[in-house]
Amino acid sequence: MSALIIFGLFVVLMATGMPISIALGMTVLSFVFTMTNIPVDIVAQKLFTGIEKFEIMAIPFFILAGNFLTHGGVARRLIKFATSLIGHWHGGLGLAGVLACALFAAVSGSSPATVVAIGSIILPAMQAQGFPPKFGAGVVTTSGALGILIPPSIVMVMYAVATTGMQMTGPSGERVSSASIGQLFIAGIVPGLMLAFLLGLTTWYRAWKYGYPRLAKANWLERWAAFKDSIWGLLLIVIVMGGIYAGMFTPTEAAAVAAVYAFIIAVFIYKDMGLKDVPKVLLSSANMSAMLLYIISNAALFSFLMTNENIPQAMTQWIVDLGLGTIGFLLLVNLLLLMAGNVMEPSSIVLIMAPILTPVAVRLGIDPLHFGIMIVVNMEVGMCHPPVGLNLYVASGITKMGISELTVAVMPWLLAMLVFLGIITYIPAVSLFLPRLLGM
Amino acid sequence: MEEPLHKLYVMLAFTAVVFVVYMAAMIRANGARTALTHLLDHLEETLISVLIGAATVLIFVAVVQRYASGVRVLYPYVSGINLGWAQEACILMFVWMAKIGAAYGVRTGIHVGVDVLVNRLKDRPRKALILFGLLCGALFTAVVGSFGLKFVLARYGFGDTTPEMEMPSWIAYLAIPIGSYLMCFRFLQVAFWFWRTGHLPVHDHGHVDGLDETPALSAIADSDLFPKEPRR
Repeated sequence: MSALIIFGLFVVLMATGMPISIALGMTVLSFVFTMTNIPVDIVAQKLFTGIEKFEIMAIPFFILAGNFLTHGGVARRLIKFATSLIGHWHGGLGLAGVLACALFAAVSGSSPATVVAIGSIILPAMQAQGFPPKFGAGVVTTSGALGILIPPSIVMVMYAVATTGMQMTGPSGERVSSASIGQLFIAGIVPGLMLAFLLGLTTWYRAWKYGYPRLAKANWLERWAAFKDSIWGLLLIVIVMGGIYAGMFTPTEAAAVAAVYAFIIAVFIYKDMGLKDVPKVLLSSANMSAMLLYIISNAALFSFLMTNENIPQAMTQWIVDLGLGTIGFLLLVNLLLLMAGNVMEPSSIVLIMAPILTPVAVRLGIDPLHFGIMIVVNMEVGMCHPPVGLNLYVASGITKMGISELTVAVMPWLLAMLVFLGIITYIPAVSLFLPRLLGM
Repeated sequence: MEEPLHKLYVMLAFTAVVFVVYMAAMIRANGARTALTHLLDHLEETLISVLIGAATVLIFVAVVQRYASGVRVLYPYVSGINLGWAQEACILMFVWMAKIGAAYGVRTGIHVGVDVLVNRLKDRPRKALILFGLLCGALFTAVVGSFGLKFVLARYGFGDTTPEMEMPSWIAYLAIPIGSYLMCFRFLQVAFWFWRTGHLPVHDHGHVDGLDETPALSAIADSDLFPKEPRR
């Protein structure tokens, strides 16, 4: 019953268009005031303790690193490198764009940032070469979504944070621990590469079918030169992933190191940014981070209320009693998340849904790691379709195309992504293979 | 732990002096009201920028120090530095950044909600709903700020400290009342402007820096970045 009241209240408040963080907070506040004996003071304290964890601090660091990379010349050099490798195949610049997005995703943790970084350079270039604008927009909008699947990823950090320390039991009553940030990052590698391949294939096929321009083949000398030029950006992949996997630093430390490293290459090595631009980057990163941290602290408040009312347990029991089985449950979760993806942005969805859905999934015998990757892929789809797909808005900002026009443009790639979502959902091995191999 | 506290007070006094001088100059130049709002704007922006920058440098230095003390040549120089408090300091800095930055975010319109339904409404109900949302924001932050203040006062009475830095914990928790009241003020400010002018601050996620400079872009497209002679 209280579950219905809480969710009803939340949905109504959210429908008025108020910020999601405020809707979460107001729901908790009014419920606690009227229906429970919880001392209300706890609300204020939870707002502090909700973000008092070092793991969460990876988020501002990754955002800062991403902003330095977007403003610096890393993206341009990665595109040049990608172009020299595969620009002569069908799809030319478009195909190179997919590869460049995948490479940039491996240094940045956000999808819109990837669209901005790669799209703002490659889209005008593609138009200049005679590609239809729709084609370029479709490629970049969807490939940019790789940003949150290929590690590092802010959404994965959110999932780890939202489920950490939960009491979860498997089908036979054994305790299951939640997925760590490091595990999620490693688990994202294979699916990320696979999705990049699928999107590339779609691009290649359409370019081949419609006879879009290709580039002259670069020789190995040019490739080597492009590689050498982009080595500073590529090294960041080694630092972040290698550092975390080798246990040299925690994900948060890796993110801080990445931010300082990105600052150094942007300002001192590539010199695409002056010291005078640094305060602006700091301010916009702080703005974005504070917004996310505010949602996190209010979502922590919300899940505190949920736990206090025993809602996750009740929900688990209810769904288990429904007898959906794993297949039905996963289908339901996908539909639910795709629907939520229609109205909310990924961080909020993950923070609100993950604490409720993950215990159910674990109870049905689904690995929390696999479940996390599935949620991330789901969020990617949500970012690429209207009405609130953030990638779409970014792409529309770059191409000056309308949202409805863009929606049609991304369709072929979006279909490929939906097929991929099916693969990820029902073949756990795709996500679990690498972490298992590495003994994580 | 007399020593660090002593330093803290010196720092606070110094900040206060700078603050007074700055304010005096601003008031003389722009009049009291503008000076106050400008000061608040600048303070917010500067504070959160400095906090995110400082926290990054701090964690980076802590990592470097950890590895440098493993190198024999460097060991004597860096082993004396104890950075065990870095993690805690980073968390505190980010909590402060989050609370002040959330207030700044109200002003920049970065706190997104679900506006699909609202935007389909006619003008009058739409305006009323948006105002309702903003006032809910003000109410929530005011309530949280007041509870936070109560909590801080209780902590002040306890006199307990944070585990690593041994800083009075009420200073850490002060972020909640200050941030929340500031946020409340920003919500009221935005609500007032919306009521008067019908405009909301909108954070444009689609905006890309430097994209308006079309010559620069065609220069990129024409540059040797992309090999010439596209072929069919």
